[in-house]
Amino acid sequence: MHISADMLYWIQRKRWLLIAFLLGAIFYFLIPKPDDLSLEAYHILIIILMTLILILKEPIPLPAIALQLIFWQVIIGGSTPNEVGSYFMNDAVFFIMGSLMLAVAIVSQGLDKRLALGIIRLTGNKTWRIVAGITAISALLSSFVGPHMVTAMMLPVALTLIRFTSKKGQTNSGLIAALLFSIAYGATIGSIGTPSGGGRNVIMMNYWAEFGSGSLSYIQWMKMVYPMVLIEIPLTILIILKTFPPELRVLDTAVRRLSVEVARAGKITGKEIFSVLLFAGVLYAWIVLSEDYGLGSIALIGIFLFMAFDLVAWKDLSKGVNWGVVLLFGATISIGVQMKITGGAAWLAEGSMNFLKGVIPNVDALRAVVSVALSGVLSNLLSSSATVAVVGPVVLNLGGDPIRLGLASVISSAFGYFTAVAAPACTIIYSSGLVKAPDFLRAGWKMAIMSVTSLLLLALFWWPLFE
Amino acid sequence: MTKKKGQIDPRSLKFLTAVSSAEYSKSTLKLGSLIASVFDASLGVVYVGEKASEFHGSSVNLTRQNLTDWNIIHPGLEVLEWALQELKKMNPDNKALAKIQFNPDHVYEEDGRVRVIMPDEEGSRIELILREGELVNELRKEMQLENYDLAIIGGSQNKRHLAHSLIQYLPASIFVLQKFNPRKKYKLLILVDDSTATAKSVEYGALIAKKLGWKVRTLTVSKTKRFGAGYQGAADMAKQYFESRGIPVEQFFLTGDPVRTFVEFAGDNHFVIMGASTLNPVKQFLFGSKPIQTLKQTDIPILIVR
Repeated sequence: MHISADMLYWIQRKRWLLIAFLLGAIFYFLIPKPDDLSLEAYHILIIILMTLILILKEPIPLPAIALQLIFWQVIIGGSTPNEVGSYFMNDAVFFIMGSLMLAVAIVSQGLDKRLALGIIRLTGNKTWRIVAGITAISALLSSFVGPHMVTAMMLPVALTLIRFTSKKGQTNSGLIAALLFSIAYGATIGSIGTPSGGGRNVIMMNYWAEFGSGSLSYIQWMKMVYPMVLIEIPLTILIILKTFPPELRVLDTAVRRLSVEVARAGKITGKEIFSVLLFAGVLYAWIVLSEDYGLGSIALIGIFLFMAFDLVAWKDLSKGVNWGVVLLFGATISIGVQMKITGGAAWLAEGSMNFLKGVIPNVDALRAVVSVALSGVLSNLLSSSATVAVVGPVVLNLGGDPIRLGLASVISSAFGYFTAVAAPACTIIYSSGLVKAPDFLRAGWKMAIMSVTSLLLLALFWWPLFE
Repeated sequence: MTKKKGQIDPRSLKFLTAVSSAEYSKSTLKLGSLIASVFDASLGVVYVGEKASEFHGSSVNLTRQNLTDWNIIHPGLEVLEWALQELKKMNPDNKALAKIQFNPDHVYEEDGRVRVIMPDEEGSRIELILREGELVNELRKEMQLENYDLAIIGGSQNKRHLAHSLIQYLPASIFVLQKFNPRKKYKLLILVDDSTATAKSVEYGALIAKKLGWKVRTLTVSKTKRFGAGYQGAADMAKQYFESRGIPVEQFFLTGDPVRTFVEFAGDNHFVIMGASTLNPVKQFLFGSKPIQTLKQTDIPILIVR
């Protein structure tokens, strides 16, 4: 058979797709299922294995990965199309869709200039105070509105400061990294604070409800988790300043020029005030009404109002949202549910526990370690939301308190400090081209130790108070 | 529009040069500009940046959109702006080029790339393109889209892997710059054998030698002591071609392992032109080819003609 250069090129580009499907075929046709696993569960685990490879290596676009998840469930997973479809759209997917749209709606109002002015007034012109201010504001905002919106609004502020401090022939690499990581790590540590801080939080809430594992209200979540955000803020500031010592102690000129730049936006308009009020209404509804109406539905009401009052155009929303991601989360959650229903999740949970039983004899500690390790490691390779969608059903089958284990899994899936792919905020600062991959490692390991320690303290001393 | 194979028509030639940063790409751009002027070809300058994971595509796009409101442009556009200014300095006589002003707001997204629209670009024969993704794939797409004749690439840290992929998969001739010193007077070394690409290598060589006044050498290497009729005929054809254009040429016939012989003969003061391999793609992929092996073993500039 003659293979042309074009065909060879396709094979090389798509090798991970071929490897994934080949592995799937080997497991499906050649390797018998374990005795203690049902055939349906075995097939679901094969689909998950193929999907993990595809998500990790991205040989095909994300929407295509979502589509193969759907059709494999029907072809080999033993599900009917309607069953797959019924798990496909739920409040978690509504929330992911809604929060992506809300981010577009809010960012397009130009409120970031007001935010910049606010931060500068708060911090003054000392570099360490600016880094601290950006970290704290990013964390606090991100805990309610998610890291992608915060980073989109904060990055221009940091880049403007960087631009105004740059001189020809002088590289302020410490200052640049400190400012950018204060946004990325600030937004990432904040995203665990409330259910609306990230898609993964809502996915876990959805699993709790779906699997009958209990529930947490918005306020209860905050009570259990927010102290960790507050502990992490000062420690993150310290880590950033120690890892990337800024070359300049004062950013006098840059701050002045930024103020001038921001002042050009003029006085706050009625439209801007109305947008803020509308968004505050969404936040209020999330906190007070989400138990009855769900976070996703409230986000969609918010988007509806933004469109009804002509504050954002559908054209901008549809352009600004990656619908492939929405599709993928729908598909991933549906396979997560299938994993639970068929017993695949329980089998994986039991297997992980048995594997590590010899190393960690205490069952509670073992459950915690499995939950944190699985989520923490996978989130550095995939994304935090995808991690929770896949790992969530396994964690909830480990036994013990599903709420605490679920929270531990969600929190540790935010420990994606080591790479640029794990958290949206890290990807965004990396895409500026001003920080390099090794910078994430330099600060990431310190952040990981700090975060694991904080989680441990929270689990040992804070959560028992809620028993 | 597909170009006819055969003789080079300089006015219709399109070259593409890839730049990565002001720090590392100055000599690539300089040689790209020089080579394009030698051939009177139009020059596309492409920046290929890393593409963010699709997972966070919405977030990155949203941030970029917001950054433009703050007049902060994509890092790739900054590099292209720098490239345009450099090209103006390198071509002070190009009046059309001098008139062009770079405006980062004037960009057009099409076919998975961003093209900088430059008012008054008519006659300048320059295109500025921004792409994001894996380097070889994006260059390949760009070359197929615009039907480029030659890609001009700088040396790479990841030389072994990149050289293999570039030579194997780019659909046109490739010039790999490596250690090029613009001030150095190179000798042109054209590798001549019985492959179909030899005629085009000779044409390219003649144009370069004529314009830059470089001395020309042809080298024919046989694995055995006997030089077949194909090799001898190709060497004679090359000699005649150069002499008919008033370009003196020195001919060399050596025996031994082709790649090792090319590399030893070329040393560090030659600019090599060689034909692309005619081996089937699978064999090239598995075992490499003469151009791939040569590129891996030397740092001198090599033009691989397809």
